Amino acid sequence: MLKKFLTVRAILTFGLICSLIFAIYSMYYKVALWGLSFNPSQKANVWTIEAHISFQPTGEPIKVSIAKPTISDDFKILDENIVAKKYSTIKDGKNNRIILSAKNMSGEQNLYYQLLLFDNEQNSGKTAASAPAKPKKPILDEQTELNMQQLISLAQEMAGDAPQKIIRFVNQDTPDASVVALLPMKKSPQELLDTIQNALSIQGIPNRRARGIKLEESKKSFTPDYMLEAYVDGQWKLYDINTGKKGKPENFVLYQRGGISLIDVEGGENSSIQFSVMKSITSTTKLASKRAALNNQENSFNNSIFNLPILEQNTIKWLTIFPLAILVIVLMRNVVGIQTMGTFTPMLLSMALVKTGFWPGLICFTIIVTLGLLIRALMSKFNLLLVPRISAVVIFVILMMQALTLLGFRFSLDIALSAVFFPIIIMAWIIERASITWEEDGAKNACREVINSLIVAIITYFIVSNDYIRHIMYVFNELNIVILFIVMLLGTYTGYRLTELRRFAPIIKENK
Amino acid sequence: MWQAIKEFCSRPRRLKESGILGMNCRNYAVISACNKRSLYPLVDDKVQTKLLANKIGITTPGLIGVIEHQYDVKNFLEYVKNYSEFVIKPAHGSGGKGVMIIKSYTQDAFTTPSGKQLTFNDIYQHISNILSGLYSLGGKYDVAVIEELVHFSNIFEKYSYQGIPDVRVIVYKGYPAMAMTRLSTAESGGRANLHQGAIGVGLDIQTGNSLRAVQHNVPVSIHPDTKEDLLSIKVPLWREHLEIASKAYEMTDLGYLGADIVLDRDKGPMMLELNARPGLAIQIANGRGLAGVIEKIEKTYPKNLSWKERVDFVLNAH
Repeated sequence: MLKKFLTVRAILTFGLICSLIFAIYSMYYKVALWGLSFNPSQKANVWTIEAHISFQPTGEPIKVSIAKPTISDDFKILDENIVAKKYSTIKDGKNNRIILSAKNMSGEQNLYYQLLLFDNEQNSGKTAASAPAKPKKPILDEQTELNMQQLISLAQEMAGDAPQKIIRFVNQDTPDASVVALLPMKKSPQELLDTIQNALSIQGIPNRRARGIKLEESKKSFTPDYMLEAYVDGQWKLYDINTGKKGKPENFVLYQRGGISLIDVEGGENSSIQFSVMKSITSTTKLASKRAALNNQENSFNNSIFNLPILEQNTIKWLTIFPLAILVIVLMRNVVGIQTMGTFTPMLLSMALVKTGFWPGLICFTIIVTLGLLIRALMSKFNLLLVPRISAVVIFVILMMQALTLLGFRFSLDIALSAVFFPIIIMAWIIERASITWEEDGAKNACREVINSLIVAIITYFIVSNDYIRHIMYVFNELNIVILFIVMLLGTYTGYRLTELRRFAPIIKENK
Repeated sequence: MWQAIKEFCSRPRRLKESGILGMNCRNYAVISACNKRSLYPLVDDKVQTKLLANKIGITTPGLIGVIEHQYDVKNFLEYVKNYSEFVIKPAHGSGGKGVMIIKSYTQDAFTTPSGKQLTFNDIYQHISNILSGLYSLGGKYDVAVIEELVHFSNIFEKYSYQGIPDVRVIVYKGYPAMAMTRLSTAESGGRANLHQGAIGVGLDIQTGNSLRAVQHNVPVSIHPDTKEDLLSIKVPLWREHLEIASKAYEMTDLGYLGADIVLDRDKGPMMLELNARPGLAIQIANGRGLAGVIEKIEKTYPKNLSWKERVDFVLNAH
């Protein structure tokens, strides 16, 4: 007997460990590749960047070439959309550009390029790359060259690494003479970058300009910011050209690197490009499919519960919490040792409480059971057979629910409105069982049975109504398998129940 | 707080040391290991149990009749016309639920032991309830058994407030392991259920003498209603009691069972019913654990003895 016992437990423990490993792997997978979160209120930001291109056609064939943002790890493109009527679109994957072309257009042309980006939650701002070739020395006139040399030598006194020294030096509040000679007082970002880049090139530090967009809510009509990228210590690093701050700013999308133009318009003049940014928030589960697709996990995702229609998803959301409630019941009965009416009655009650809310549900339950017991007591005078009698109780329960709902609506009592969520048959059985216990074992025992069931239901309610727990049980539904093995293992638990410690205490006390 | 817990509860280790059998252990290691599921119907159906018992030579209360169909209920007086008293019980009932005792009756007035007056309609209703499965496990359709009333021995009369005191013997692998008698009180409403306030008296398995008595888990020494000394109970015909219990093992093949035995003043000990899942309250009544006894039987008692030899072995064991 002992041997058999050990193997059963060993098999189940093995199953539990396997299911745990599977669940952990699966959870890791869902978090890492699908971007799902343990936090139910975790939201993903979705940014809509819109580039508005306008120009006047000159009458020649039009060719507009727009730079697509360089996709980095920190932001992913969710969707892109081009609004350009009568234009043909070609995507030039090699140069990462979109080319729109049209003929014989007149009047001001307005083209829109929309991009939906989302946060990929990996922020680096540093890109490892193989060492680029040394930059060519810029060709400068003698005077400029001299000023440049002076600037570089003076800049060495500034703090930071080489690019930072230059940036900080040229951005000093009271600029040095060499800077004044090179740059006008009101300098454009391009001019500033030119100077910094020249200074770096003279020092032999590979550098390039970068343009990007700072994602902020409802930002309208702006042009992308310039930044400097320099190759330092084996990595391309980003620098703010005004402060010298290293690294990618938060919520910053690198749009384009190097000296390539953002937009080229052939057959048009007075062209301008204006950007706007909008932020929208969505839940991590809604984004999961896009993220999965980006990680080439479409197949596995399509076979998951998240690919189901919303209605089915909601049903599954509801189903996945049941195993946890069942586990609570098993613990309550076999480990704590509370006797309840029927095995799963408390679980169904707690589920009803989740739908009704705690106090309204509790009050409704009390009203229905009390009235039901009264009616049942009256009915016992009629000498009805069991099945018709319990059926009558069921109908009474239904009538009470209707009445409560009606009263609740009439007098706008939200409490009463929740009556409909209680499982009718369960309520009827509770009333029937309680009334029989009442007749046979007295009111005390009947009340104790009802209250015990209610206590277990309330404990279960507090566990299953927790947002975190519900979210985790749904999103990581593989935990259901873990619970299955825990429940089966509990089936081999032969230790004492908590209530037995109290029950058998008198024996121990006397034997002492 | 901690002191209060210590006061009312005992540590699991202490329970284990005292050989207390817990509910989980009973279900897992004892019942599911010793009792084959397919044998349960033998003891769950009182009609079957009765027929089997009579075949093997165990006395049971005489069967008056079985009402199986609803249309038959109105004729129940036909069944009992030759008897002045009778008992109606569900064939699949448990824990004494649905048992109705009629001490005397006329056409439309029935008297229970407590003196309560019932009408024909009350009895009709009760039998209908039994048939529709109100008292049976899982609410399955049931039949009503009408039996002769046991005239319990005078010896017990002074110890019990109404109701029939019975002796419960736990039988493990055919060996009577532990015994108690349950005495009804006013509080328990004349029923022998310990959780309702009946008194459990632990009986020495070798002599049938009372060891200790408990009510609501608390030791008592005198009956609260009859004021009799509970510690001087001596169950007569003890060997016969044990023989019935021991035979029940042969009859059912259940390794762990509870035999409920009543002592009729004319016919001697009679088997009332068997239980394939006897409760654990007997440990409190005896003041000792069942697990220890079971372990002893499992390890030291011989196997393959006849019922008679097993009773001898228990009576002479040390």
